[in-house]
Amino acid sequence: MTVLELHQVKMSFGSGNKTVHALKETNFLANQGELIAIIGPSGSGKSTFLTIVGGLLSPTSGKVVINGQNLTALNEKERSQIRLKEIGFVLQASNLVPFLSVANQLNLLDKVKKGNMSKKERDQLYEDLGIADLLMKYPSDLSGGQRQRVAIAKALYSNPSIILADEPTASLDSERAYEVMELLKEVTTQKKTTTIVVTHDIRLVDYCDKVYKMTDGVLTEIEKDKKSPQIAGEYSHLS
Amino acid sequence: MFLAWQEIKRNKLRFILITGILMLVSYLVFFLSGLATGLASLNREAVDKWEASAIILTDDSDKSLYQSFMSVDLLKEINAEKTAVIGQLNAIASNKDKKQNIALFGINKEEFLMPNVIEGRAFENANEVIANDSLKDEGFNLGDQLSLSSSDQTLTIVGFTDDARFNAAPVLYANLSTYHQVKFGEMADQNKDQINGIVIQDDSILNLSLNDELETIEIESFIENLPGYTEQKLTLNFMIYFLFGISSIILAIFLYVLTVQKISMFGVMKAQGISSSYLSWSVVAQTLILAFIGTAVGFIITLISGTFLPAAVPVSFDLTLMIIYGLILMVVATAGAVFSVLTIVRIDPLKAIGG
Repeated sequence: MTVLELHQVKMSFGSGNKTVHALKETNFLANQGELIAIIGPSGSGKSTFLTIVGGLLSPTSGKVVINGQNLTALNEKERSQIRLKEIGFVLQASNLVPFLSVANQLNLLDKVKKGNMSKKERDQLYEDLGIADLLMKYPSDLSGGQRQRVAIAKALYSNPSIILADEPTASLDSERAYEVMELLKEVTTQKKTTTIVVTHDIRLVDYCDKVYKMTDGVLTEIEKDKKSPQIAGEYSHLS
Repeated sequence: MFLAWQEIKRNKLRFILITGILMLVSYLVFFLSGLATGLASLNREAVDKWEASAIILTDDSDKSLYQSFMSVDLLKEINAEKTAVIGQLNAIASNKDKKQNIALFGINKEEFLMPNVIEGRAFENANEVIANDSLKDEGFNLGDQLSLSSSDQTLTIVGFTDDARFNAAPVLYANLSTYHQVKFGEMADQNKDQINGIVIQDDSILNLSLNDELETIEIESFIENLPGYTEQKLTLNFMIYFLFGISSIILAIFLYVLTVQKISMFGVMKAQGISSSYLSWSVVAQTLILAFIGTAVGFIITLISGTFLPAAVPVSFDLTLMIIYGLILMVVATAGAVFSVLTIVRIDPLKAIGG
């Protein structure tokens, strides 16, 4: 089942001679249960792609459809509601609120989302992500890997259909980075979400079902069987 | 409220400091309001005791009781529900040990200006006076013989009344003939019809028809024209109003700095779909919590410290006024959160995720 569709999406900044085409005409489909990596160097347009998919930025032209709903036709308030219900974000360093305990990070979402998840479901989520024994701790008490686990728990709160992860392993050592990717793979399969990971860490692409590379605003899919060697060749300078 | 309270609980020291500043500002506001009320009472409590609607003085006295002179015969021209004549002078009274500024009120015993007696008895004979009980704290007692600075008459304290100060001086109440003796000495008989004013208890005072030489003054207006009263009141009230402004600015700065520190966090939250209104309400709720705690603690400390003040400090706490000032403080403090709210509304979630 197709969860996310991009049709002829373009994004430009500036005007006249100073126009920067951050995203050239892009068509993209993502299905339920897929873990997709978008790789590319800094400034290639990865983040622009992610912010458009996340409804934080309206494209210059084209159409973004999430679960049949045309995101580009909605106003900011409606897009905010879509973000709240349909999209979970996992960000680079950590998107945790520093003064909230792990339990309260999710309690906050529970208050904002008006109790979309029962206590039983929440406890199950804590167990699945291995954070059940961290509930009373604060972000400053957690390791980088633990923080990203909690961030993923937040992203998964109320079962979003899409998880957007922006460099989720950037601040982690290799071992923790693999752990986080395994976790993302696991939740994508189990929860049947569509997970899009923007990264320039090519070591992580083995966990993904599809890999796209972004070069100067052009998104190209890399064949699954060839992805690692091909990427390893093209992006060796990034690893 | 959830987010606001959780942040306060986690960052106790930071918020205790902010609340402490608010507490000190509210303490100062409450104390100044107590001082304003106390000083106002010093000036007006004897007049408040009249429970009068108006006073008639001569037009050229410029609303000063002391400067107004009229004949008691004018009383016949005044058609009001209740009237009472008053003669007034200021002097320094001495009982040999102590000296004290006083205001002498010459009144008729059967009229409504006659004060309640809380100790001793009412005056009956010439040169007997009922004194304000604040004189007891100054070393004056029942039976004391008082010599006056401007007269060779000697007065005897036969009773005490409470709440009777006029223009900051304790009042001595005597009958009109005693007043005439003190004021005019040997000329008392020739001036026995002289009084300073006529006090009226009648709500329809504006209907009184008087001759051109007299003026009917509403009691509140009369009080405001007491020497120094309005100036003193305005000065203290200005200080209080400035403190309202200062507390708003202080809180606005603190909250703005805190909000700026959290811009990235708020951006992430907005990216996650948490609305600006939820985050803004969180800041406003936090401000209300801090303002309430700071004001409440300031209120309690003011009342406690008030009990330790010496009687000479003219502080009088009007609880209703203090509650009103407390509410105003909370409102102006909350207004200080406006800059933070605007900052939150303008945060671009895009920047939070590096777009």
